[in-house]
Amino acid sequence: MGSSFSSANGSAIGPSLGDIPESCVASVFLHLPPPEICNLARLNRAFRGAASSDSVWEKKLPRNYQDLLDLLPLERYQSLSKKDIFALLSRPIPFDDGNKEVWIDRLTGQVCMAISAKGMAITGIEDRRYWNWIATEESRFHVVAYLQQIWWFEIDGMIRFNLPPGIYCLSFRIHLGRFSKRLGRRVCHFEHTHGWELKPVRFSLSTSDGQETSCEYYLTAKEGEEMSGREFWRDYKVGEFVVSCSEPSTEVRWSMKQIDCTHSKGGICVDSVFIIPTDVKQNKKRKAAVK
Amino acid sequence: MASSSTNKFVLKSNDDVSFEVTEAVAREFQVIAHIIDDDCAKKAIPLSNVTGEILSKMIEYGKKHIEEAPVDEEDEEGKKKLQIWDEEFMKQFNMEIVFQLILASNYLNNKGLLDLTCCTVADHIKDMTPDEVRTLFNVKNDYTTEEEEEIRKENSWAFE
Repeated sequence: MGSSFSSANGSAIGPSLGDIPESCVASVFLHLPPPEICNLARLNRAFRGAASSDSVWEKKLPRNYQDLLDLLPLERYQSLSKKDIFALLSRPIPFDDGNKEVWIDRLTGQVCMAISAKGMAITGIEDRRYWNWIATEESRFHVVAYLQQIWWFEIDGMIRFNLPPGIYCLSFRIHLGRFSKRLGRRVCHFEHTHGWELKPVRFSLSTSDGQETSCEYYLTAKEGEEMSGREFWRDYKVGEFVVSCSEPSTEVRWSMKQIDCTHSKGGICVDSVFIIPTDVKQNKKRKAAVK
Repeated sequence: MASSSTNKFVLKSNDDVSFEVTEAVAREFQVIAHIIDDDCAKKAIPLSNVTGEILSKMIEYGKKHIEEAPVDEEDEEGKKKLQIWDEEFMKQFNMEIVFQLILASNYLNNKGLLDLTCCTVADHIKDMTPDEVRTLFNVKNDYTTEEEEEIRKENSWAFE
């Protein structure tokens, strides 16, 4: 398709992309993801105009974007265009004392969430012999819960939010051992890491409309991996849930448990739980594969 | 096809090609619907911005969407069939014709065809850099250096 362009031989045979009016450029933008729209604003004034138009960005925002704005002070968004609102919401918005964040994915406009370990109920968290809070730049919340050792390992969390309809994936972000910087290099310490190879950890989630799912993982380096396979943050997928209607708001509960008290376990960092639409997750994977 | 009792109208392109269409097809184009409603459509309706070549394609599109219109909102099969036809329909055109169709469907106000043609353009330029698009379609840069910097700043959030 497209063998003869007006630009091909310099003589104007017919209209080209630069000749279509701003309103039509806006219609083209309805079919492109936000980063491409922002990129194409560089072409000319009609493109820039269309790239700023409310009619385009209204369609890119999630239906319930007002719920996200409600977490912010009015003066932050009062006089903003729809495009600026999209830009504002594409950066994480902290709520519940900064222990939770919500934002919209730049590519799809879908709603994503993260919940810090600080915003969850951790059994024994107040006892420093078991759990410690470690400040770190490796967490988006700048703090993670570090377990030295414990018999009853249990973390529970809950959130109620107006999620737009879609399929969401819930996962835990976990690191075996702890880590520090020495002379600018990242070093991992596994002196407390034990017990995870004996029994699997049970992850589960449930929603207020009766969806339930659970799974079990051994929190050890995967088979065939060297010890170095442990030195990373890992996402443990708990499961997926479906939001079919945005009202009333969805309540999601999750937990991570190893309560077999015949053995102690320890030496892991728990950062957060992510709630991400499944197609956003797939985009990320595809991107990572390209790299 | 339309019965003999159906009103017919003649649409005339800017290069003097005439097309006889049923009222239903003519009404697929908002601007023509208004002309009919204002009772100004006694003779041929002249369309000063559309060539015969483009008009014939638009009428083909309009006819199909009248004849094969989905029964209702729930008619997923009907929608799917029409969507497949739309895709095939667009495949026959080079980009120059696509741009002419955009201008004409914008002028005659047919939302469906405008959306379809704009979608084709979006698919075509997807994943191209602005410079590639600029070169391919000869889009003139009408910015000053200051404006370019401004645009870069106002859009930088999208690439963080």
